[in-house]
Amino acid sequence: MAALISLMILIPLIGAIITFLTKTRQQARAVALLSSGISLLISLFLFLSFDSASSSIQFFESYQWIGSLGISLKFGLDGIGMPLVLLSNIVIPLTVLFAWGETKQANQFYGLILLELVGVLGVFSSLDFFVFYIFWEIVLIPMYFLISIWGGPRKDYSAIKFFIYTHVASLVMLLAIFSLYFNAWQISGKPNFDMFYLLENYSLLDGWLLKGIITVKDAIFVALLFGFIVKMPAVPFHTWLPDAHVEAPTAGSVILAALLLKMGGYGLFRVILPILPNSDSPEILITLMAIIGIVSILYGTFLALAQRDLKKMVAYSSIAHMGYVTLGAAALIPLSVSGAMFQQFSHGLITGVLFMSCGVIQHGAGTRIIGDLGGIAKHMPKLAFLMMAGFLASLGLPGMSGFIAEFLVLVNSYFTLPTFVILALFGIVFTAGYHLWAMQRAVFGTFNEKLGHIHDGANYEIASMAVLILLIIFFGLNPNSVLNMMTTNAEHLVRFVALRGVIT
Amino acid sequence: MFSEIAALIVLLPVLAFILTLFLGKRLYSGGALLPIAAIAGSFIISLGVFFEIYPDKTVQQSWPWFAGMNLGILIDPLAIVMLLMVTFVSLLIHIYAVGYMAHDPAKPRYFAETSLFTAAMLGVVLSDNILQFFIAWELVGLCSYLLIGFWYFKPSAAAAAKKAFLVTRVGDVLFLAGIILLYFNISDVISSRAFSLDQGNFILQFRSMFEAAKFIDPSQLTLITLLFFGGAVGKSGQFPLHGWLPDAMEGPTTVSALIHAATMVTAGVYLVARTFPMFAATPVTIAPELHIPDSLLIVAIIGGFTALFAATMGLVMNDIKRVLAYSTVSQLGYMMLALGTAGAIVGAKAVGISLFHLISHAFFKALLFLCAGSVIHAMGTNDIREMGGLSRKMKITATTMLIAALALAGIGIPYLNIGTAGFFSKDAIIEGTFELGMETGGWGWIFYGFAIVAALLTSIYIFRLWFMTFTGTPRSERHPHESPNVMTRPLIILAIFALLFGFMQSGFYLYLEKNFELMGVEIASHESEEALVLPPIVVLMPVIVGVVGFLISYYIYHLKKLNMSRFVSSGNPLYRLLINRYYEPRISADIIGVKLTHNIAAQSGEFVDRKIIDTLIIDNAISNTLFRLGELVRKLQTGVVQNYASVTLLGIFLLVVLLKLTGGI
Repeated sequence: MAALISLMILIPLIGAIITFLTKTRQQARAVALLSSGISLLISLFLFLSFDSASSSIQFFESYQWIGSLGISLKFGLDGIGMPLVLLSNIVIPLTVLFAWGETKQANQFYGLILLELVGVLGVFSSLDFFVFYIFWEIVLIPMYFLISIWGGPRKDYSAIKFFIYTHVASLVMLLAIFSLYFNAWQISGKPNFDMFYLLENYSLLDGWLLKGIITVKDAIFVALLFGFIVKMPAVPFHTWLPDAHVEAPTAGSVILAALLLKMGGYGLFRVILPILPNSDSPEILITLMAIIGIVSILYGTFLALAQRDLKKMVAYSSIAHMGYVTLGAAALIPLSVSGAMFQQFSHGLITGVLFMSCGVIQHGAGTRIIGDLGGIAKHMPKLAFLMMAGFLASLGLPGMSGFIAEFLVLVNSYFTLPTFVILALFGIVFTAGYHLWAMQRAVFGTFNEKLGHIHDGANYEIASMAVLILLIIFFGLNPNSVLNMMTTNAEHLVRFVALRGVIT
Repeated sequence: MFSEIAALIVLLPVLAFILTLFLGKRLYSGGALLPIAAIAGSFIISLGVFFEIYPDKTVQQSWPWFAGMNLGILIDPLAIVMLLMVTFVSLLIHIYAVGYMAHDPAKPRYFAETSLFTAAMLGVVLSDNILQFFIAWELVGLCSYLLIGFWYFKPSAAAAAKKAFLVTRVGDVLFLAGIILLYFNISDVISSRAFSLDQGNFILQFRSMFEAAKFIDPSQLTLITLLFFGGAVGKSGQFPLHGWLPDAMEGPTTVSALIHAATMVTAGVYLVARTFPMFAATPVTIAPELHIPDSLLIVAIIGGFTALFAATMGLVMNDIKRVLAYSTVSQLGYMMLALGTAGAIVGAKAVGISLFHLISHAFFKALLFLCAGSVIHAMGTNDIREMGGLSRKMKITATTMLIAALALAGIGIPYLNIGTAGFFSKDAIIEGTFELGMETGGWGWIFYGFAIVAALLTSIYIFRLWFMTFTGTPRSERHPHESPNVMTRPLIILAIFALLFGFMQSGFYLYLEKNFELMGVEIASHESEEALVLPPIVVLMPVIVGVVGFLISYYIYHLKKLNMSRFVSSGNPLYRLLINRYYEPRISADIIGVKLTHNIAAQSGEFVDRKIIDTLIIDNAISNTLFRLGELVRKLQTGVVQNYASVTLLGIFLLVVLLKLTGGI
């Protein structure tokens, strides 16, 4: 049992190095698939031996690193991290498979994908705040290159914008982490970057900042929140996302939407909710989060409706879907919080299919502009079938995973945030609207002869999309396999909040 | 023994869906035999269950699902009559489709989707909880979307499919809101200890809902039931969400038959019937003089109005399927009207009255659509202005369609109790509205007004349709022929039911009356002890208007004694209003869909996003500064962006030193 998590992180890292050194693209992709596959097997083993009834950290590992600064390598999983580790290990091998035909600098391409896996696995399992931050930053770099080397015409602009946005947010978050760290150091006289230790010591902070406008506690809370919601992303810090997606290669988009956005949501559950009750003005901060959530839902939905580029539409739909995560977290009801966690997991699978659909269309038909497509189902029947399934999942069709997540968030958030839930319900019809309208114009109707000869997705592309659809249906019918562990930890989180008298 | 395998009623068609979808290409007639066998199996199991539970037993099975919800089966009298109807009618339509769809290359997809459609509807019917009901309900919506858009390469089909999904989605969101509110209220009465869930019961099960309803704040109960009814309005095409149904004609005619008779629009009526105890428990505040609970009053008003409103449009349509579509909307209005008005007087019996019409309607409406399909198959057009004189070429179709028309018009002989199915089922509803008028007086009469005028219009439009199609001289150069046996046999079977089903009336009422008692739910009724003896004119009236309608159509469309060209012209504002369907398509698609939602809301959002947030604030104010800073760093460094990583680490250490020097915050 020992060291399984570090092994799971190490294998793709070694795989990445080997991939960089390979000479042919056949070797590169084989190594990439193999190492991410092994990582998947390890995470499956962890998942199956995970105790869903326990809210404590499991598979814990700890190694000394920089003792003088209190930094150590600590890894472990609970119901918050485990599903996302599994998700990462599902998405990456499928992305490699989907991008099986990549020819441009293939060794670097697959190597960077593996590095993404290393980064997200580290983020979702690190329990040392310093190490957490390093992994958090590691994720940025391969994504920057994926966009700037394999991207579209405006790749430089988008890559820099992506980097600066998320980097600035990370630095703000880092400042907050350091304040927690030094504060705890001062009090105990000993440096320690342990995540839970620092979060517990949050309550000991006091004082005011900016001439009494905001307390130190609230300032740190807001700084951490900022770091996370830019990543999710939430309105109004979202404009990097559509640009990044439009230019990114399909594999980059899939990883970005399915995994990188989840880091922000993960931060809400891992960091934000535990310190929320100890902040100085929890009610205001809860309302702030709820507003961010609902604005993201509605704004993302309407913006998606306005898009002409299919991929940009999908990007905006991500913003709307991630709004449910913020809303469910802010509602602080055990099942709304676990619904929000489930939304993260589910959206990771669904958005993968959506971006893959965009990729197949771009590749097969030569354009993604909805108005320039039309009737492509005639020549791309497999794509049309899987895309339809993905779109239905995305608009929340029951029987698929997205419905379970949104249902749990809406039903349970009503207890504490009724007005917000009613507003969110308005979004549902429009969500269905932009999905079906896009299908009607791009995929159905008479074939647009101007497209010339177009072809369906390659077998490996179709296969990876089909696997995702099957998983979406599996978790839609059988949510308990991941929901139970989420609920255990959500109950734990909420009980903790309730103990501090912030009520729900 | 059939009760134990009741889950197969749904699972068999689901299995057939999967097999047909993937293997259909290699099988006879696109795999049509798989769904036919599966649905026949479902029908046999349903029949078996019926004989096991008749007259006073139920089947209840339940398994825990996620987050305190469950999956389960509830087969009570209400469910079993629906199961029998759905499987039987769907089976006949599937058999008919073997002939009707014979030349379509996409047969496997067709039969797979209709099989799933049937399964979803069966899932609605035997759900024992409102969440599962909602899920199956949504799958019904999905299948209708897929099937209305079956010929997806036709732009009109793709548009109609989208409209159907979105308009019903409006209702679905209301339904979902109702479930959210219900869940909240039940949790509330549980936590206040007024009510507790029995061992083995789950929170959203119907029996829990009915018990908890006694403790829920009455105004909340009204809101919950009205939200449920919102879902029913969408699904059952009631005003103002009726517009999708007449447009849903873009799919194959067999799909229309399924939607209109067996597998979709009746779900809304079924929802109100299923949750009837909650509707009946709502307070009486809007109209104390009528003694109708608020929610039932709204159901009655919407239903009655829709019955009349849709019938007016049926009068002028020229597409054979569209006339029938408005007829469905109108008849569903009757079913809602029955639940609302009869519920006020006879309590739980209203469910029987409404459901009896639902099932009798299923037979004759399926028949009408399949006859229309047979005509379209022969003529290659939907336009009745291009038909005429078909009865000579298509004897079976013409005869069976006449029977269906007579049933729809409710023709029969009062006092002798001889008549078509519609005679028994619709007249009971009309008489119910009369009783309400008698008891309450005043504006209680409005429901009788809706019902009787709609009955007259119904008779006019359906015989107009029949005369224009089957009598007179052919108005176009085509060579129609009778359809093959595989199509005409189902017509004959349905015609027999449309003729004879009415005789089961009293047994049916008796069986369904006890439905909610079996669950331990009492529903108050205001029925006087002595049966009200209706004056002869009231008993005769529905048949009189039916016959009058027939004569009017006979006079105008068969004898052609009246020149209609002055009425049927774009100069006539009334005609314009009707033929444009009260401008509903323009309001829903152009104004709400395109102008308000897309052009105004979405485009202004796009403007804010790109021009204000992105360009003005982020690009100009923030990014440009950062870009300049970045350029500076790049010049200082080697100019490669990998160095951001080292800059990051450098920054961290600088911060450490800085913060250490200042002693932290």
